[in-house]
Amino acid sequence: MIGVRVTAVYDAERGGLAASTTAPACTQTVTEQPLRSEARGSCETRGEGGRTVRTPFWAATLALLALSVATPVRGQDGLDVNGANEEAMRAAAAKAAPSVVKIETAGGLEVVGGGKKGPGGQPGVARGTGPTTGVVVDPDGYVITSSFNFANKPTDIFVTVPGRPDRLVAKVIAADQTRMLTLLKVDAKELPLPAVFPKAEAKVGQWGLALGRTLDPDVNHLPSVSAGIVSATGRLWGKALQTDAKVSPTNYGGPLLAIDGRVLGVLVPASTRSEGETAGFEWYDSGIGFAIPLEDVLAKLPALKQGKDLRRGLLGVNPKDSDAYTAKPVVGAVGPDSAAARAGVKVGDTIVSIDGKPTPNFSTVQHVLGPKYEGDAVTIKVLRDGKELEFPNIALLGTQTAYVNPFLGILPLRDDPGPGVPVRYVYPDSPAAAAGVKEGDRVMKVGTGKNLAAVKNLPQLATAMAQFPPGTEVSVELKRKEGDKTETMTTKLATVPDAVPGKLPMPSSAGKAGEGRPKPKAKGGLLPKKGKDEPEEKAEKPETGFLKRADEALGREYWLYVPDSYDPSISHGLIVWFHPAGQGGKDGEGMAAAFKEFCESHHFILMGPKSANPEGWAASETELIVQDVRKVLGRYAIDPARVVAHGLGNGGQMAFYLGFNARDVFRGVAAVGSVLGTAPKENVANQPLAFFVAAGDKDPLLKDVVLSKDALVERRFPVVYREVKEAGKEYLDAATFEVLLNWLDSLDRL
Amino acid sequence: MLLRVPAAVALLAFVPASAPAADPLADVCEKVNGKLVKVFGAGGFSRLNNFATGVLVSPDGHVLTAAGPLLDTADLAVHLYDGRRMKAEVLAVEPYLDMAVLRIKVEGKKNGDPTGLDLPYFDFATAAARPPAKPADWVLGFTNQYEIALRDEPLSAQRGVIAALAKLSGRQGVFDFPYTGDVYVVDAITNNPGAAGGALTDRSGNLLGVIGRELKNTQTNTFINYAIPVAAKVSVTVRVKADGKDEDKTLNLSLPEFVAKGMKGEYKAVQGERPLLGEGGWTGIVFVPNVLARTPAYIEGVVPDSPAAKAGLKPDDLVSFIDGEPVGSITAVQEYLRARTRPGDKVRLEVRRGEGLQSVEIVLGTPPPRVAPAPPPEPKKWYNRARGFTPGRRRYRPGRR
Repeated sequence: MIGVRVTAVYDAERGGLAASTTAPACTQTVTEQPLRSEARGSCETRGEGGRTVRTPFWAATLALLALSVATPVRGQDGLDVNGANEEAMRAAAAKAAPSVVKIETAGGLEVVGGGKKGPGGQPGVARGTGPTTGVVVDPDGYVITSSFNFANKPTDIFVTVPGRPDRLVAKVIAADQTRMLTLLKVDAKELPLPAVFPKAEAKVGQWGLALGRTLDPDVNHLPSVSAGIVSATGRLWGKALQTDAKVSPTNYGGPLLAIDGRVLGVLVPASTRSEGETAGFEWYDSGIGFAIPLEDVLAKLPALKQGKDLRRGLLGVNPKDSDAYTAKPVVGAVGPDSAAARAGVKVGDTIVSIDGKPTPNFSTVQHVLGPKYEGDAVTIKVLRDGKELEFPNIALLGTQTAYVNPFLGILPLRDDPGPGVPVRYVYPDSPAAAAGVKEGDRVMKVGTGKNLAAVKNLPQLATAMAQFPPGTEVSVELKRKEGDKTETMTTKLATVPDAVPGKLPMPSSAGKAGEGRPKPKAKGGLLPKKGKDEPEEKAEKPETGFLKRADEALGREYWLYVPDSYDPSISHGLIVWFHPAGQGGKDGEGMAAAFKEFCESHHFILMGPKSANPEGWAASETELIVQDVRKVLGRYAIDPARVVAHGLGNGGQMAFYLGFNARDVFRGVAAVGSVLGTAPKENVANQPLAFFVAAGDKDPLLKDVVLSKDALVERRFPVVYREVKEAGKEYLDAATFEVLLNWLDSLDRL
Repeated sequence: MLLRVPAAVALLAFVPASAPAADPLADVCEKVNGKLVKVFGAGGFSRLNNFATGVLVSPDGHVLTAAGPLLDTADLAVHLYDGRRMKAEVLAVEPYLDMAVLRIKVEGKKNGDPTGLDLPYFDFATAAARPPAKPADWVLGFTNQYEIALRDEPLSAQRGVIAALAKLSGRQGVFDFPYTGDVYVVDAITNNPGAAGGALTDRSGNLLGVIGRELKNTQTNTFINYAIPVAAKVSVTVRVKADGKDEDKTLNLSLPEFVAKGMKGEYKAVQGERPLLGEGGWTGIVFVPNVLARTPAYIEGVVPDSPAAKAGLKPDDLVSFIDGEPVGSITAVQEYLRARTRPGDKVRLEVRRGEGLQSVEIVLGTPPPRVAPAPPPEPKKWYNRARGFTPGRRRYRPGRR
C-alpha cells in the first residue's frame, strides 16, 4: 500500500521545511481520501480518520506529510505542518538509532585540554563521567567517534550496540587528527550500517538532527535528539558541516541526520581558532556545532583501519604578507625540507593556483590545503619572474621540520647606508670569530661556495642570512677595517646561543638612518595634513619625554617615553610594555625611569598601552594595540628588527600572545613570570621572533613558566631563559635587568 | 522514481491554508500563556532570584511552581496573564520533588474558601495520565527567564524538541540535586534564571512538565535544560524514629499525588533525615593504590574467603560496571558501594579480564572488624593533640551534602 521508495522524497535540494510543506513526490497508490491540495501532483495517499497506519514508521511519516498539506488543523492535536515534521524527525531518529552506539570509559583524567587563563588562554574542560556516542562505520565492528570522548586518556573503553545485550571491549585503532575523530574496533559482526547522505547534496537550511547516547542509558531506546538545520557547508576549510542543532558532550561522536534519517556527518567539537580534540567545546549548545561529513569519514576508513593516525598535509610555505584576504599569496618563507622546498618552491614566488583552483589570496590557499592529509598530492602553479611554473604532484608531508635561525655571530652597526654592513661586535666563540671577523670589518658579499651576492645594506644581509640553515658553510667577503683589503672567509653557521653578550661596544649606529632609505612617514594617525610649503624638517621633530596619548573615540590610552636624545637619523628600538594586571596606567613613569638611561644611550623608545579591563589583558585587544604601535612606528624612526613586546605576569602573557598574533610587527618577546596561553606557533624565516623568558625562583608559576620556555625551545625559537634568585612575582633584579638590556640591544644579531 | 514538485506549486498549495494565524503554534502559545503566572518572592540578592514562573492547576488559583528560597516570604505575589497582581500563599512544598503548590489569595475571602477566580488552568490529573513524550517530539517552553515579562506580558516562549526522558544526574554547585527521578531533557535553552516553575508543553499545548532550575549535568559537566514530567515519581529512603529506634523507610512520591493533596492543603512533606551513609556492603576486593583522580578500578588482590574471592575475581581484573552502572574509577566503586548497598545485598559486577567482560554476582558481606591500630603515644604537646585521631572512628557523610 505504501511505496518504499518514498525515502527519496526528502531530497537535499528541498530538505527540511520545504519538504514538509510541499506535497512530497509520493509514490503511494491507495486512495480513500483524496488530497485537496493543488500540490498533490500525481500522489494520493490514504488516511484512517486523519491518522495513518504507523507501520512502517518511515512510510507513515510520508503519508502524514502528504496529509498535512491537505488539511492543516490549527491549535488542535491533529495533523499540521509541525506534526508532519515531528513525525519525520522521530522516524529519522528511529531509522538511524541502530547504528548509534554508546561508549563508556574507565580511568583517565579529570580535566582535559585547555591551559591557562588570561589572553589567549583556554580554561581546561572538566570531563563529565557519562557515556558518549559513536556511529557504526563498518559491520565488522568499526565505530567512529569524536576524539573529545577520549581526551582524558581513559584506560578502558566499552561499547554497547543497540539490540545486543553485552558491553564490548573496544580498542582504539587510530585517530584522524585533522577531523578530531577516533576509530574504535569491537569484536562484533554484522553491525548495522547507517545510510549515508551524500556530501554534495547537503544544503544550507535543510533539517539536521543531532543524536547522542549520553542521556538515556538504555541503548534500546531512541537516542537523544536535538533538532536544527544545516547552517553552513564547507566549514573549517572545507572539512565540516555546521549546524544549529545543540551539539555538546551529550552527542559528540553521534550522527547529524538529515530528515530522511541518513547520516550527514559525525558531530565533533571544533573551532576555527585552535586545533585539538577539545577545541570548540566552549561553543557547546550555542547553536554553533560541527559535523564531519560521513562520506569523508568513509573515504578515509581504509587508511584509518591501518592503525596509523592521519595527520594534516603540510605544504610548508608561509605568506609574505600578514593580510590573508587582499594581498596576493606571495611566498615569504619555505620550511626547511618541507613539501614545497622539496618541489622547488622559492621565497618570492606568487601562488597562482593549486589543483587548478585559482588562489588570489592566502586565505584561498588555506582553504584548498585545509582538508588535505599527509601524503595527498597537490599541483601548484606559481608566478616567478613573470613566468608561470608548475610543480605537479607535490606530496604533502605530515610533519614540518622546524625552522632554525642560523647564527653567524656578529652585531651589525646600524643605520649605515652601505654598500656593505659594518660589524659592530663579534660574539666570542662564534662562527664569525672562528673565521677571524673583527669589529669594524665591513661585510660586502655573502653566499655559499663561489656563489656570492653583494650586500647592499643591513635588511638585505638579514634576509640573505635567514635562508641558510645552521650547519651551512657560508662564505663572507669582508672589507677589512685596516687598509682596504678585501678577504673572503668561510665558516659553518651555528644555532643562536642562550648566552647574551656582556658589555657591547658603542656607538650602535652610524647615525645615517636618513640616507639610502625613505624617511619615516607619519601614517595611520589622525595628524592634520601639512601644507606643501611647510618645510618637512619641522614635521620631523616629534615630542620627547614622557608623553600621554589617548584615543577618545576608542577610549584607549597609552603612554610613550621618547628619550631626549631622540634623533631621527638614528633608528630606535621600540619596547611595548604590557603592565601586569591591576597596574594599568600606574606603572608608566616608573618603567620610564627604569629604562631612561638605557633608552638614551642605546636609542630605544618605550610605550605602554593600558588594558581595557583593570583585571588584565584580553586577546581581543590585539587589534587596537597593534594600531597604536603602528602609530608610534610611523611617527618615529624605528628599526623594525627591534620591536619588542615586554610584560610582567598577565602582561607577559599578552606579550606572548601579541608576539605570535602580530608577527609582522614584533621581533622579540620578553616575558617575566608569564605563561603561554596558547601553544606557540611555528618559527618561520621571514618573521623571526626571539624570546627572553624570566621568572622568580619562588614564583608559584615557575613550573609552568619553564614548560612555556620548553615549548618555545621545542619549536626552535631562539630563547634566553633566566631564573631570578630569591624572587617571586616581582620584576627583574638588577643583574637580570642588565641581561635583558643587552638582549634588547642584540636582537638584530646575525 | 522521484517527482520534484516545483517550488511555485508548493507555495500555492500552502497559501489557502495560511490564512491569518496559519501557524498552529501561535494559537497554542496564546492559550498556554493564559494558564501561567509570574511568581515574585524573596531574594534579589547574591544570585538568588526573586522571580520565577508558575503553572495554574485549578480554576480557583492553585499554582504549581518550583520549590525554592524565593517562597520563604509573606509577600509572595503572582502576576496573571490578564495583568492582575495577586497575593499568594504556599500550601505545600516537597524538596524531593522540587515542587511547591501555591494558592492565590483574594481579598475578602477567607483562607480555604473558594476564590471564585475561574481562571484558565491545566487539569493536572489529565495531563499526568497522558503517555510520556518521546525524543524528537516538538515541545514549547514558557518561562519568565530573566524577568522579561511583567503583568499582562506573555512569557518567553521557546521551541525545541525532547532530547530524552532520562534520570537527572544534576548538580547544583557542589551539591547533588535532591530530585532524582526522570526528567525531560530538551534541546532549547530553557533553564535560565527565573525559568523554574515554567511550563513545558507539547506542540498542542498539553502540559508535559514543569521546567526546572539551572543545573549542571554531572555526566557531561555542561548545563542541562530539563523539566520535571507531570507524572514524575521518585522513591526516597529516609531514616525515621520508630519506637525509639532508627529505621530506614522508603517512600514513593508522585507529582500528581503531591498536586492533588497539596491543593487541598493535605500534603505532608517527607520528614526525617536522609539515611547516613555507612560503609555499605563489603566485597573483599583490594584495589591498586588510588593515586589519581580517576584511578581505574584494577584489582590488586582479593581477601581470602571474601565475597570477591568466592565469585572468582582475580588480580588485574578491572571492575567496570556495578549493576549495569559504569564505575570509571576506584573512587566511583567505593562511592557506589557506600551509597547504594548494604551488607547482604546482591550486586552484579562486570569486570574486564583480558579482552572480554566477565559478569559475576556477589553477595556483599560485612566488613571484618578493623584491627585497632596501636594507641597513639600520649600527646605531650598541644599540636600532637590537635593532629591526633580517634581509632576506629567511622566516617559518616551527611546525606544532603
